[in-house]
Amino acid sequence: MWRTVARRTTIMIPQIVLLSILVFLLARSMPGDALTGLIDPSIDPAAIEEQRVKLGLNNPWYEQYWDWVTNALQGDLGQSFRFKMPVTDLIGERIANTFWLSLATLVITYLIAIPLGIISGRYNDTLADRMITGYTYIGFAAPLFIFALLMLWAFGFHFGWFPTGGSVAPGMEPGSLSYIMSKLYHLLLPATSMALITTVTTVQLLRSEIIDTKHKDFVHTARAKGASESRIYNRHILRNSLLPIAAFFGYEITGLIGGTVFIESIFSYPGMGELFLSSISVRDFTVVTSLVLLYGIAAILGALLSDLILSMVDPRIRIK
Amino acid sequence: MRKTIRSKSWLLLTLSLFLVLAACTSNNGGNDPSPSPSGSPDASASPSPSASAPPAANEDGLFNISDFSNKKTNQGEPLKGGSLNYGLVSDTPFAGTLNYVFYSGTPDSEVLGWFDEGMLTWDASYVYTNDGPATYEASEDGKTFTFTIRDNVNWHDGQPVTAEDWLFAHEVIGHPDYDGPRYDSNMTNVVGMEEYHDGKADTISGIEVLGDKQLRITYKQATPSLITGGIWTYPLAKHIFGDIPVAKMSASPEVREKPIGIGPYKVESIVPGESVVYAKNADYWRGEPALDKVVLKVVNPSNVVQELKSGGIDIVGDFPIDQFPDNADMSNVEWLGVVDRAYTYIGFKLGKWDAEAGQVVPDANAKMADVNLRKAMWMAVDNDLVGKRFYNGLRWNATTLIPPSHPEYHDASNPGVTYDPEGAKKLLEEAGYKLNGDFRTKPDGSELTINFISMTGGEIAEPLAQYYVQSWKDIGLNVNLEMLEFNTFYNRVGDTGEDDPSVDVYQAAWSVGIDVDPAGLYGRDALYNFSRFASEENDRLIAEGISEKAFDKAYRLEVYKEWQELMVKEIPVFPTLYRSALAPVNNRVLNYAIGDGTGMYVYQIAVSQDQPFVAE
Repeated sequence: MWRTVARRTTIMIPQIVLLSILVFLLARSMPGDALTGLIDPSIDPAAIEEQRVKLGLNNPWYEQYWDWVTNALQGDLGQSFRFKMPVTDLIGERIANTFWLSLATLVITYLIAIPLGIISGRYNDTLADRMITGYTYIGFAAPLFIFALLMLWAFGFHFGWFPTGGSVAPGMEPGSLSYIMSKLYHLLLPATSMALITTVTTVQLLRSEIIDTKHKDFVHTARAKGASESRIYNRHILRNSLLPIAAFFGYEITGLIGGTVFIESIFSYPGMGELFLSSISVRDFTVVTSLVLLYGIAAILGALLSDLILSMVDPRIRIK
Repeated sequence: MRKTIRSKSWLLLTLSLFLVLAACTSNNGGNDPSPSPSGSPDASASPSPSASAPPAANEDGLFNISDFSNKKTNQGEPLKGGSLNYGLVSDTPFAGTLNYVFYSGTPDSEVLGWFDEGMLTWDASYVYTNDGPATYEASEDGKTFTFTIRDNVNWHDGQPVTAEDWLFAHEVIGHPDYDGPRYDSNMTNVVGMEEYHDGKADTISGIEVLGDKQLRITYKQATPSLITGGIWTYPLAKHIFGDIPVAKMSASPEVREKPIGIGPYKVESIVPGESVVYAKNADYWRGEPALDKVVLKVVNPSNVVQELKSGGIDIVGDFPIDQFPDNADMSNVEWLGVVDRAYTYIGFKLGKWDAEAGQVVPDANAKMADVNLRKAMWMAVDNDLVGKRFYNGLRWNATTLIPPSHPEYHDASNPGVTYDPEGAKKLLEEAGYKLNGDFRTKPDGSELTINFISMTGGEIAEPLAQYYVQSWKDIGLNVNLEMLEFNTFYNRVGDTGEDDPSVDVYQAAWSVGIDVDPAGLYGRDALYNFSRFASEENDRLIAEGISEKAFDKAYRLEVYKEWQELMVKEIPVFPTLYRSALAPVNNRVLNYAIGDGTGMYVYQIAVSQDQPFVAE
């Protein structure tokens, strides 16, 4: 297995290089640059030009790319133009928020998906199953950003149960219990909104897996041997049906990346996704390219993780 | 307004038309009444017996900015202490460069406004006064200024603010490693600054420290603009920043995590990009601030109304005006309003930018070179109707290029060019633009197609642009519209000097600074003179406006009156709409005002009860 990991990692390198070139070229081909927004007659255009030269914005793309790559390999992702601070520090500031949001979303996703999937699969074609599949169809059809807006309006404003922006209440002492509680409270609504939508794939997958498995020969055998219904479901069917779900875990992480970009912007939650969108609009290239690269690496790692989990949980699959 | 204080020039950032970007600097509805201490501080704090009724719409649902006051009616008695919630309206977190020397962008300046202030304040006509933390005296020739900092002006850590600190701010901004946007024409106007910036001198020869609290600065050119925002008035704490290399300052914790100032409130804690808690600075030089605590938090523009209704925020920095008509009767707030320092305009491309010479080059053969054609296009559009239909009267027909936010300089007697579509047709007919089918041709008989670009953003950007296209079609002009995103738009209009030759007409907006000098937007050597218009008369008037003679205000007024007339006659651009800025204020807030020269200060803001009023 370690050989697989090594091999997959080697394949990853050209993938990431290609991705970074692509991202870099796309970012540069957007009209305008970080200094476009600085239209201010009291600043001498020559001074702006001087800044452009200083930032290397006038060099040909391959030179800029090379500068960027060599620095990135040394752990220096460059300087954010808008925030006037190193991109690594900036991302460091935001990544924790995104990490907690993603983790909360994942937990809630599985908390919803597993019971619903089991009920729906075990009692298929009953009223409960129909309601659950009905919900999954709505979930498939509803765009995340619209659903999130509705949630924000309903639970944030109409009922006022949850905060409507930020990641923590102002003036809390970091590390204190109230600080942690406030953080949790702030990410509950965005995480739930996202989980309610992303969970539907997992519910559907689990449902069809269970329906599939319960007609398998070994289930009939177990039943013929007189095993109780709950034993059959808990020991035989569920264990087998969870395999693809476990394997799906890596891809779930990839999906979260796309989701957090929307969710963070809607809930004014200062994480990486929000940073990503706002950096595009002000042409803060260094931040955009660094983030896309990070996202790309996360996606590739997610896929790798999925393959590894699959080979571990399912002995029939052996990666050589 | 805090941002524009340092800018002597007429304008600042361009905003996308309808969507006031976070980058917008025309933040008139800002939180700080501080910069303008004309009149006695309590002049406006006198309690009025009853709350005024909210400005009502007339039967057509229209509002008028003159019905709004810029001062909050005080209801009730001020509470001792209490805390206030301030909403920073922005769809992105604030950048967190919390120092006047380094910040860029309005969100940061709103955060700064609570805990720091400049050494000089200004009055309602934007002229520096002697009521701020420092006083000034100008020499006979108007070039040398002597500043004296008051003895009781201290940094938040108790250290006195010294002349050295003020000099240090200049040295940092002029340093070759400085990475902020403040090294501008105001800075290069200081004697010896350019030599220092280029490394030819170790010190700035034009700045002299006379004593602990006294500083003398000599400027190269004495202009009336100098005392309306042409002086750098923000000191930088040398005892804190003195040991940090200039290149590292803007990213240092002293700027980002525990910033320091001299203002009425101190920063107590910051959640980066999200919120700031301020505590009272009991040692504030004007006197003890009324509130114990101020909490600032970022509020998304789409949530701001809900936050106001629920009392989650008491006041806001910049209210999205398109949400006002639906919320005009919100019961727990009072609406304040002022004329915004901004205007929307339509520009005609009349030439190119010569980067080498640093000048505009008008082209007599440009498609839009005929003034009759430009005038007809102005006559064809009914901006009065646009203001009513699209903005409920909160934007209105503009007449000249100096907006009424500068009431002395705005020439109200100049009607601009009035709406007259029949007259426009006649004018075109006489100028030789004959109808051929639906559309008119050029006088030489060839086809005339005009390319018009406008910015996206907000719901009405496109319908508005379409209205103009339709109006021009009605007088027989074939206009092609292209809607572009902000960056692309300015790229093609020519913010780097490489104008797209296919653009003939464009719609944009300017926020203007506190000084009226239009050189930065309409001068011959101004890159941002996007129409690329130049004439000798224009050069003369712009030069006269900042000449020595213009220290005589009556003369200066006369010059800019003439300039406004010239622009109405030549029409390189025509203004379409003036704008208003509105600010909702919770009823419990006392001693609050927006705009300039109100005589009210941040430290006086108080609340009448512990809990905010909630909308019914």
